Amino acid sequence: MIADYINPFLLSTASVFEQMLNTQVERGQPYIRKAFEPQFEVTGIIGLTGKATGTVAFSLSRETAMKITEILLGERPNEMNPHVVDAIGEVTNMIAGAAKARLAELELSLGLPTVLIGSSACVAFPSRATPISIPFDSALGKLVVEVGIVQ
Amino acid sequence: MSRILLADDSGTMRTIIRRSLEALGVTDIVEAADGNQATQLFAAGGFDAVITDWNMPGKTGIEVVRTIRQTDKTTPIVMITTEAEKTRVLEAIQAGVNDYLVKPFTTDNLREKLGRFTPVA
Repeated sequence: MIADYINPFLLSTASVFEQMLNTQVERGQPYIRKAFEPQFEVTGIIGLTGKATGTVAFSLSRETAMKITEILLGERPNEMNPHVVDAIGEVTNMIAGAAKARLAELELSLGLPTVLIGSSACVAFPSRATPISIPFDSALGKLVVEVGIVQ
Repeated sequence: MSRILLADDSGTMRTIIRRSLEALGVTDIVEAADGNQATQLFAAGGFDAVITDWNMPGKTGIEVVRTIRQTDKTTPIVMITTEAEKTRVLEAIQAGVNDYLVKPFTTDNLREKLGRFTPVA
């Protein structure tokens, strides 16, 4: 059951990085989160509603976030500015959107992406949802996609 | 030289699509940040093609397409969106889009879609 939810996000993350960032990602072993500990300093979050509800979190370091922004927008940001926030929000939206298409039977709709900045941020998933963390490595840095869905 | 109306509420996505268009040799690009602005700009005329997102404040992309098609049946419209379900694609085609590109996408994908309707490099 969990694999049914996770595989679409594995595929969508790889697809977004390959097509939008021209970067291959290497997937690590997915694991169940035991606590809502922060992953990295920058986290894009998007809610899912429909025949299931859930949350998707895309977490990465500041440096990786700025590298992604540079590739997408063509200019290297000097700091964590609104362009970086928007870029990470857009990547989160595409990861969730592409996965949603692979979960058509759930008739999911996406909320607006929110981006948290700061290592003290915690992502609270819907109650009863067991969040699964999917770690990835790439030439742009490490990242984690976390998914918690309740049907 | 093609003149393109580009509608997306995300400034980041408009920049991404603009950079792809420029790589395809399209430099005359007018940007709209929401659906209402898109239909107002289109009404002024002079566009060879329209690229629109689906989910936007004001008018959605589908409403933009329907508004344009009330008066213009021929200007090519390409929708670029995360909405990839078959029912959504069908809804967009019935509204009057000529082609449909699902995010994420590459510049080659955009060339393939847009090149059907307007000259690209």
